[in-house]
Amino acid sequence: MKITDYTIDELMVVAIARTISDGDLVFHGVASPLPMTALYTAKMSHAPHMVYLGGVGGGVDPTPPFLPESTNDIWLQWGACRIETIDRIFDHFARGEVNVMFFSGGQFDKYGNINNSLIGDWRRPKTKFPGGAGACNLASLTPKIVAWTTRHEVFVHPKTGKRIYTLVDKVDFITSPGYLDGSGARERAGCAPGTGPYKLITNLGVFGYDDETKLMKLESVHPDVTVDDILENTEFKPIIPDKVSVTEPPTPEQVRLIRVEIDPYRIRTLEFRGGKEECDKRRFKF
Amino acid sequence: MGIYTQEDKLMTLSEAMKLVSDGDKVAIGGGLILREPIAAIYELIRQRKRNLHLIGTAHGFDVDVACGGGIVGKEQHTYVAYEFVYRGGCPNFRRVVEQGLVEEKEDGCYAVIQGLRAAAYGLPFYPSTCFFGTDVLKYHPEYKEFACPVTGRKLVAIPPIEPDVAILHVHKADRRGNAATGAPLVADILMARAAKKLIITAEELVSEEWFRERQGATIPYYETTAVVHVPFGAHPTCCYLYYTYDKDFLDEYIEYARRDLDAAAKGERGTWMEEWLNKYVYDVSREEYLERIGGEKKLEKLKNWKQRLFDARVYKEQLAAEWEV
Repeated sequence: MKITDYTIDELMVVAIARTISDGDLVFHGVASPLPMTALYTAKMSHAPHMVYLGGVGGGVDPTPPFLPESTNDIWLQWGACRIETIDRIFDHFARGEVNVMFFSGGQFDKYGNINNSLIGDWRRPKTKFPGGAGACNLASLTPKIVAWTTRHEVFVHPKTGKRIYTLVDKVDFITSPGYLDGSGARERAGCAPGTGPYKLITNLGVFGYDDETKLMKLESVHPDVTVDDILENTEFKPIIPDKVSVTEPPTPEQVRLIRVEIDPYRIRTLEFRGGKEECDKRRFKF
Repeated sequence: MGIYTQEDKLMTLSEAMKLVSDGDKVAIGGGLILREPIAAIYELIRQRKRNLHLIGTAHGFDVDVACGGGIVGKEQHTYVAYEFVYRGGCPNFRRVVEQGLVEEKEDGCYAVIQGLRAAAYGLPFYPSTCFFGTDVLKYHPEYKEFACPVTGRKLVAIPPIEPDVAILHVHKADRRGNAATGAPLVADILMARAAKKLIITAEELVSEEWFRERQGATIPYYETTAVVHVPFGAHPTCCYLYYTYDKDFLDEYIEYARRDLDAAAKGERGTWMEEWLNKYVYDVSREEYLERIGGEKKLEKLKNWKQRLFDARVYKEQLAAEWEV
C-alpha cells in the first residue's frame, strides 16, 4: 500500500524530531514513547550523527528492534556499543553537553513550568502523580527544553461544571522549572544561563516562547485544528501571531520509518487517551 | 560503607532481612521494571517491618508493593510508576501518599545520585548545579543553597545520602560477597558504596574462582554484609539475560491494588491488597510462590524472552510488505 496519509501521533513525532540537530547528544527520560520514536526518526532522517543515549538503561547508540513499553527494557540497549550508567549520563547535562531534553507532565503553564508531581497541596495532595524523575534537576541545565503532551484539552466536571485544563495559567506545583514567573526569573533562581523552555508540542499545535516576556506563543496548529480550538482548550491566552501556520507534515519516508522500522507495535499511541483508535481518527492526507 | 571480611556470608532470606530494623533508611537497587530485589521486599513484608524510609531513583513495583505491604514510613524516590506498561501510576503508592499514610519526599534522580555520591566519595556534601526553581525542594529542607567560594555562583549542598541498608538483586555472587551486578547498573554501585550495610540477593551462586579468573566483581566482597541465593529473586521485574518481567502477574496485581485505590477514593478501606498478600507473600514459601505464579511453565516462558525478537522480525516483514513510499 502506498503511504498517502499520516496520523496525529506521527505528526507529533516529527515535530519533536525537528528539535534535534545532527551531532546532538540526546537522552530521554522515563515514560517517553513519542520522544523515543522522534529520536530514531531524527537519526534515520536528518541527524545521522546524533548520539543516542537510550533512556534510563543507558544504551549508547542502541538499535532497538522495536520500541518497548518500559525504558528500562533490554530492547533499548539492544546493539549498543556500551551500557552507560545513569550518573554519567547526567554528568553530560552538568557539563552542558546535552543540548535538548524532553519532558512531559500533568500540567503545563504559560511560562513553560511543568508539574509532574501532584494536584492540590504538596503536603497532602489530592492526586499524586508518579513524579518528575530527573526533570526537576535536568530542567535547570538544558538549553532547549522540549515539552510535549497528548492531553491538550479541557475537561468540564459533570457535577461542578468546573473547567479542568492541562495547559493552565499556573501549575499547582513546579516540578521542572520553566521561565518561572517571567523574564529573568530562571537566572535569578540559579538555573544555568542560556537554558529554558524551547517548544511545547501538543495534540493541537506547536508553541514557542516570546523572547521578551517568556510567555508561551502559538507557532502552528495541526491540520484539523483552529485557533479557536486552541483558546477553548487552554486556560490562559497564549500569544497568537497575526498569521498562524499549519504544522509541517512528515514526509512519506518518515512515516514509513515510524510505522515499519522504528515503532511497529505503535507504543507511541499508548500516550493518547484513546490509544490507536484516537490516532487513527485523526488522519491527514499529504 | 562498612568493611566486612567474614569468609562465609551466605544466609537465608529470613536471616538477611533481620539485618534491617524498623525505621531504617533502605536503598533498593534496580529501577522501573528492572532487577529489583522483590523476594527481599516480600520478606520485609513477612517480617512486618515498619516505618522504613525507602530511597532510590525511578522505581515501580518494589515501592508499590512495599507501600501496599505497610512497611513504608517515608518515600524518597523520583518517579514511582509503570511507565507505559500500565498507565495511571502505582496504585498502592498513590493511595498511601494521598491518604497521608506515608510521608512523601519526592526527589530528583540527579540529586539522589549526588547524595549517594557524597556518601560514597566521603564528602560532607555534593555541590549541585541543578536544584533551582523547583517546588521539589519544599520536600528537602536538608538541601541548602550556598554561594560557590570559587566562582560565586549559586549552588545547592546535597548532604550525604547514607542508607542504613542497601538491598540489591544481582546476577552472580559468591559466599564471600563478591558480586557481578549485571547491566544496566542504575544506581546499584553507588548504593553499595553509600550504605552502611549491603545485602545481596543473587540469581546464581558461583565460586570465588569465577570472580578471580576474570576480575569479575563489580562489587568486591568486603563491601557486602550478607549474601542470599534467590533464583527469580527479581520476579515480577526482569533480570536479563535470565528472564523478562511478568506481565500476567503484574496485570493481576494491578487489578487488586486498583480496587483498594478506588475504595479509598470513596472513603472506604479496601481489603484487596490484604488478600493479594495472603496469596503471594504471608506464609508463602519460595517454592509455593514460584508454583503460584505459574510454576515451571511460567518460568520457561519468562526465560524465553528472546521470542519477542523473533516475533518482531516477522511482524516487521509483514509491515514492510504492507507499507511503501
